[in-house]
Amino acid sequence: MSMTTKDAERLVKRVLDQASFGDVRVHVASHTHGYSRFAQGAPTQCGDSTKVTVTVTAVKDGRHATASGSRTDDASIGALVKQAEELAALAPVDPEVMPPLGKMSPSAASHVDPEVSKMGAEQRAAQIEQAIASARSLRLDAAGFVDHFDLSEAMGDRAGLFVHQRRTQVSMSTTCRTSDGTGSSKAGVVGHALKAAGIDGGKLAHEAGGWALQSRAPVAVPPGRYTVVLSPNAVAEMLLFFVQALSHRAAVEGRSFFSAPEGKTRVGEVLFDSKIHIWSDPDDHHHPASKFTSEGVVQPKVDWVKNGRVEALTAGRYWSQHAGVPLLPAPSSLHMAGDQGDLDSLIAGVDRGILVTRFWYNRLLEPETILATGLTRDGTFLIEKGKLSHSIKNFRYNESPVTLLKNVAALGKPRRAGLLPEGVWVVPPMVVRDFNFESSSDAV
Amino acid sequence: MMPWMNTSRRSFLVSSSLASAGLLVARPAWAMPKGALVPAPDGPPPQAANEAAILAASRVLADEAVAKVAVEAAIAAGARYADARLVLYRTENIGVRDDHIDHVARHEGYGIGLRVIADGGWGFAATTDVSAKVAPQLAKQAVASAKRNGAMLRALGRPEVAWAPLAHPEGGTWVAPHEIDPFSVAIQDKADLLLQATGAMLKQPGVRFANAMVASVVEDKLFISSEGLRVHQIVPRLAPSLTAVAVDLKKGGFASREHEAPPMQGGWEYVQSLDLPGSAPELAAQANQKLHARSVEPGARHVILAPSNLWLTIHESIGHPTELDRAMGLEANFAGTSFIGPRDAGSLKLGSALVNLVADRTQPGGLATVGWDDDGVQSGRWDIVRDGIFVGWQTTRDQAGWIGEEHSRGCSYAQGHDGLAFQRMPNISLQPGKEGYTTEDLVNATENGVLVQGRGSWSIDQQRYNFQFSGQMFWEVKRGRITQPLRDVAYQANTIEFWHSCDMVGGEGTYRLGGAFGDGKGEPMQLNAVSHGCPPARFMANIINTSESARGAK
Repeated sequence: MSMTTKDAERLVKRVLDQASFGDVRVHVASHTHGYSRFAQGAPTQCGDSTKVTVTVTAVKDGRHATASGSRTDDASIGALVKQAEELAALAPVDPEVMPPLGKMSPSAASHVDPEVSKMGAEQRAAQIEQAIASARSLRLDAAGFVDHFDLSEAMGDRAGLFVHQRRTQVSMSTTCRTSDGTGSSKAGVVGHALKAAGIDGGKLAHEAGGWALQSRAPVAVPPGRYTVVLSPNAVAEMLLFFVQALSHRAAVEGRSFFSAPEGKTRVGEVLFDSKIHIWSDPDDHHHPASKFTSEGVVQPKVDWVKNGRVEALTAGRYWSQHAGVPLLPAPSSLHMAGDQGDLDSLIAGVDRGILVTRFWYNRLLEPETILATGLTRDGTFLIEKGKLSHSIKNFRYNESPVTLLKNVAALGKPRRAGLLPEGVWVVPPMVVRDFNFESSSDAV
Repeated sequence: MMPWMNTSRRSFLVSSSLASAGLLVARPAWAMPKGALVPAPDGPPPQAANEAAILAASRVLADEAVAKVAVEAAIAAGARYADARLVLYRTENIGVRDDHIDHVARHEGYGIGLRVIADGGWGFAATTDVSAKVAPQLAKQAVASAKRNGAMLRALGRPEVAWAPLAHPEGGTWVAPHEIDPFSVAIQDKADLLLQATGAMLKQPGVRFANAMVASVVEDKLFISSEGLRVHQIVPRLAPSLTAVAVDLKKGGFASREHEAPPMQGGWEYVQSLDLPGSAPELAAQANQKLHARSVEPGARHVILAPSNLWLTIHESIGHPTELDRAMGLEANFAGTSFIGPRDAGSLKLGSALVNLVADRTQPGGLATVGWDDDGVQSGRWDIVRDGIFVGWQTTRDQAGWIGEEHSRGCSYAQGHDGLAFQRMPNISLQPGKEGYTTEDLVNATENGVLVQGRGSWSIDQQRYNFQFSGQMFWEVKRGRITQPLRDVAYQANTIEFWHSCDMVGGEGTYRLGGAFGDGKGEPMQLNAVSHGCPPARFMANIINTSESARGAK
C-alpha cells in the first residue's frame, strides 16, 4: 500500500526538521511493484516488491550535494541529511545552482485506479492463463509480461514547496511465434487503470497470434527508400529521439538539430508538415502522466510543434532564467494529433509500400540530424494496391524522426502506444514517404 | 601470412603532419588502464589484500539474522528451496560541466530479496523494510506466488523448475581486489581532477564544451540459502568518462570525442592511473579533427577494430546469442532469441579458425568477475568459441539440465536486492593471436580500409544477425598506411559473415578490456556490468555514410 498525502507530508517534514542548512530539498517515494513473466507457453519468473526512497539535496553558498537511502527511521534520516550537508559543504561552487523552488500547484486530478493497487500474483496468473490458452488454440508459442505498480511521491523544501502525487500503472504484452520459426508478432497495452488499459490476456494473444500467422515465411525485398505505414508503436519509437532533442540549451550551444547559426535556435520556424501538432499534457483524462519532475517542477500542458512550426523547447530552472525562456521540463507524456482512419484504411490508401508494426533496438546515430538506427521486428509486410501482399524480411533503418514529420502522406487515429510502457505516448499511425531502409536482416 | 607486411614504425606514419594520429593509433599511455592487460588466469579470482577487514566492516552483517529467518520461514511455508540476498548497493556520481561542478550525488539502495521454489514454480518477494517482523511476510508472499506458478505448470503439463546441484557446495567470502575505496576519496579531490581535465579540453581552440564524470559503485551482498550456503561478497566498480565537443558556430555542425577508458572493477587507483587531465588535450584536438574530417566513402571494405570498439561488437554479436535462455525462447517477448539453436554447440561454425572466445568470471578487473554467482555457483572459465566453432553456452542452475549438463556455468545475477536473479553475461573475451601482431601490422597489411576506435552508436536485431556500430574516431587506411581522419562512419555486417571474415588478430601485447555497466535484459529490465577483452582485429564490413542516410532530415 502506497503512502497517502498525509504520510508523505509527515515524512518530508521529519526530514526537513533534521536539516541544519537553510536550503534543504527532499524527495520521498514509495513504490509497490508486481510482475510475472511467461515464455515457452508457461509461467517463468514472478516477483513483488515494496520500496521506499528518501532523497535529500542540501544547498549552501552555491554548493550542493544529494544523498539518498531507503531507511525511514529517525536515526537513518538524520544520518542521510547530515551526509548531504557534509558533501555539499565540500563540493565546489556551482554557478548554476538555483534558489529553492517554493510553492507549486499541480492539479488535483487523480491518476489512481484502486483495481491496479490491489493486483497481485493471482490476478497476473489469471491473465497469463488466458494468454497461453488463446495462443495454444492457434498452435502458437507464447511469451509475455504482466506488470503493475502503485507509486506515491512527494517533494518538499524549506521555502514552502510541498507537492504530492500518486499514480498507478498496469501493462501487459504478449509475443506469439509460429512453430516453424518464421512468424512472430507482439501485442501490448498499458494504462493507469485496469479496465481502460484493456488488460485481457486472451485478446492480446489472439491479436499477436493473428499477426504472427500472417507474418510466416517472409520473402526478401531489397532495402531502399519506401513509402511506409507505421503503427502507433513504430511512430512512438522514433519520436522518442525527437523528444530527447528538444533542449533549448543544446540548441543555443550549437549542438542540436534545433540549432541555428550564431547561437540562435529554430524556434518559430516551420520545419515540418503543416498537419503536425505535438503536445504534452500530464492531466489528459484518458492518459494521465507524472505531474511534476523529481525537482518538484510542475509539468504544464505545452505545444511543442503546431501547424508544423516549432513552438517551444525544454529548459530547466537555470537555463530558463539565464536565457529568458519559459521553464519547461522534459515532458512526461507526448500526444500527436491525427485523423480518423485506422491502420487498415491507411494501408488501403497506399499503392506500394511497407507496413512496419514496430521497431527494435533503436539508437541515436547522429545528433545533428537526429539520425537514428534500428530494425523492424515482429511483422513487416509489403503493401501492394492497398493490401498486404507479402510478409517480408526485417530491415535495418537509418532514418530521422524529422523525416517522419516532414514527409507525411497521411495520419490515422491516435492511440496509446501499448509496447512502450515507460512513457505515455498517444500518437497516430502514419504514412510517410521516402523512408530509408539500409539493409536486410534474417531475424524473426 | 601477409608477405607485404612491414611492421616498422617509420613506414606506419605517412608524413610528419599525421604523426600525432599515428602515435595515437600506436596507443597512448591513457589507453592502457591498469589491470586491463592481464589475460584471464585459471583458477579462482584473486582477492583484495585486506579482505577480512573490509568484510567485517560491512553493514549488511547486522541483518544476517533477518535473511536466515526469511529462508527458514520459506521452507516452513512449503518451499523446497529458498535463498535470500541482502544487498547494499552504494553509488556515487560526480559530474562537471565545462568549468564548474554539475552534480554530486550519493545513493544507497538497501533491501532484501527472497527467492523460492515451491510446488515446482518460482516465487520472489523483496522489500527495503529489512526487519525480523517483515521476513515471514516476505516468505509467505514468495511461496504463495511460487505455488500459483507451480499449479499453472502442472495444469499445462509443463515440467517444474529443475535445480542443478552445486559442483562445489561450499560458500565463502570474496572482495574484489582494490587499493583505494572510491568512497574514501574526498569529493574536492575528485571534482578537482575532473575540472582539470575539462579545463585542459576547453583550452583547445574550437572546443566549446567539455564534460567529465565518474560513477563509483560498491555492491555489498550477503547470500544465504536453504542448502546451507553463505556467501558474502564486496565488489567496487568505477566508470569514468570525459568528452570534448567541438562546434562550428558559423557554418553549424559539431563533433564530440569521448575518452576510451572502460569502466572497470577495482578501486580509485584505476581512475588515477588514467591521467585524465594529461589525456584531455589530445582528445580535444581530435574532436576538432573529427569535426573537419572528410566524410567517408560508403561501401564494403576492411575494418580494423581497436579493442575500444571491438569489445561492444563481441558483446552484442557473440555475448547475447550464446545466452541459453535466449536460445530457448525465454526472452522472446523483449530481448529476443538467438540465431544459435539449443543443439548447435560443437557443430556451428561461427567464425574463422582465428576466432577463439572465452567466458571468464575470474578475470582480474572484469566487471562480471565474482567469487560466486547469485545461484551460489563458484565462478569459472570456459570456452564459448574454439577455433571458430561454437562450443559452450552461458547457463544458470535452472538451465543446465536443458542441454544435458550436470552443473551450471555460474551466470546468474540480479541487479540490487529487488532484481530477480537470472542468466546474465560473464566476461567474454576474444583471445589474442599467436603471431603477436600489433595494430601497425594490421594497418600495414590493409590495402583499403577504415580503422575504428572507441564506442559509438550500436544496434543489432533480436536474433543477432544484422548489426551496425559506429565509433569515436575513424581513420582511412590506404595501401598499408593511415592517410586521414574520417567522419560519418558506421559499419554494418551479418554476424556469421563478419566473424568468418576475421583474418588478422593482434597478439597478447595488444589485448585490452572494454566493458559497460548497462547491459540490459529481462522484464522488468535489469542492468548487468560486464567486460570483454580483445586484441585489435581485422574484418570485412559494409561502411555506411551516416550523413547520406540522413539526407531526408536536412
